[in-house]
Amino acid sequence: MPSLLRRLSLAPDQPEEQGVRGDVVAGALAPIPAYCEVIDGHVRDVIELTGEAAHAIIQQMVKVDSLAEVMTSDVSQLAGTLSRTEQELSQVSSSNDQLVGRLISYFLYRDHQIRALVDQMRELNQHVTQIEQVSRATNILALNAMIEAVRAGEAGEGFSVVADEVRKLAHRSSEAAQGIGSSIADLTAKLDAVLSDDTQFDRAQEFPANDEETAMTRRLGGIANAQREMSEMVSGILRDTIEAARQVQSSSDSLVTETSGAVGHVQFQDISRQMLEHVADAVADVRRQSESVAGYARGEVSAEEVQERAIDVDDLRAKHVMARQRFTHAAQTGEDAQGADEPLIELF
Amino acid sequence: MTTVMLVDDSATMLMSLKSILTKAGYAVETAAHGKEALDKLGKGVKPNLIISDVNMPQMDGITFAREARKSPGMRFTPILMLTTESEQSKRAEAKSAGATGWLVKPVGPDQLLGVIKQVLPGA
Repeated sequence: MPSLLRRLSLAPDQPEEQGVRGDVVAGALAPIPAYCEVIDGHVRDVIELTGEAAHAIIQQMVKVDSLAEVMTSDVSQLAGTLSRTEQELSQVSSSNDQLVGRLISYFLYRDHQIRALVDQMRELNQHVTQIEQVSRATNILALNAMIEAVRAGEAGEGFSVVADEVRKLAHRSSEAAQGIGSSIADLTAKLDAVLSDDTQFDRAQEFPANDEETAMTRRLGGIANAQREMSEMVSGILRDTIEAARQVQSSSDSLVTETSGAVGHVQFQDISRQMLEHVADAVADVRRQSESVAGYARGEVSAEEVQERAIDVDDLRAKHVMARQRFTHAAQTGEDAQGADEPLIELF
Repeated sequence: MTTVMLVDDSATMLMSLKSILTKAGYAVETAAHGKEALDKLGKGVKPNLIISDVNMPQMDGITFAREARKSPGMRFTPILMLTTESEQSKRAEAKSAGATGWLVKPVGPDQLLGVIKQVLPGA
């Protein structure tokens, strides 16, 4: 069998005895197809594994994304509920303040009414004093009448004067009795009214000043303050919780945004898959080239066929459809990169 | 609701794009290649926008764009090609087939939604 060197005429200036043996070349090239098969298998494995991983990642991302959305919605709802509760609590607190204020007014109003009744009772005492005076005077008059009676007959006119005075006293007693009767009736009516008719307070136009301090108002004020403090404490807790809920909502919103971005980045798998497929295609080209040369070395393939089937780095460049591939190709071959100014988004 | 049809042979791409679009409020129809997408159009699916890959089995994206234009009611529907390829010759081919625009992968959610707003101003 002629040597490969002689048949290819690749190095005619070299001595024949140092020529390349075709069987050796064919032997050396023989494992390349299997080698390429293995590389191809590995590349396909990488494509499959990254594909599965990317699919799993995207599924989990979508799940995380939907959970984050649910969380955002739940937290937003919670914040709304808490906010409404805080407003309602504030309204209840304000209403309680008003109620306590009205209670204080009511008690002061009743207090003033009762004090007025007490004053009237004192007036009754005056009438009683008056009756006592009349009674004393009547006694004196009676005594005088007795004295005058002793002297009766001599001066009968004295009796008529005494009788007149007694009559006046009787009149004053009658007036005092009427005054007492009237006051008692009035007092009874007012007490009845105070005890049975609360609507007087509602109809009243003027009220005692609320800053008047009594034991009752002090107690009511204490209750009002305690209620106000508790309300403020609960409001504070609610405000803190609302703030915390808003922070969780904000974090959740960020999580949704980040997850969306991550979902977009999973496109890398589609890109790397296509790049790896091109690598696998290139490995297949190398394999075919090795088989062709080995066939030639064995004398099974003509030189013309070998040259026709020969791989070319320019052909490889033509298969590179991605800008990144063309840049890498140019970097390896020392050529100028083309397509650097091609827009990534173009509307026709 | 605005419907977007996604055509891509990568299940990962379909899931990724579907997630982005549904979150933005679009209804989504998917197809694994041009032929399946064309079948759906033939069965009455009327998307407001089509986003298609270029290299796919059975029917590539550019052929699909050309055929889709022949479907009733699809003459003016925007068709965006979303692909890893960036060559001008392919873009020109897609343009003459009736594509509306060319987007090179990867495209971020904001970019994608921005382009959709451009081609579907009212949506």
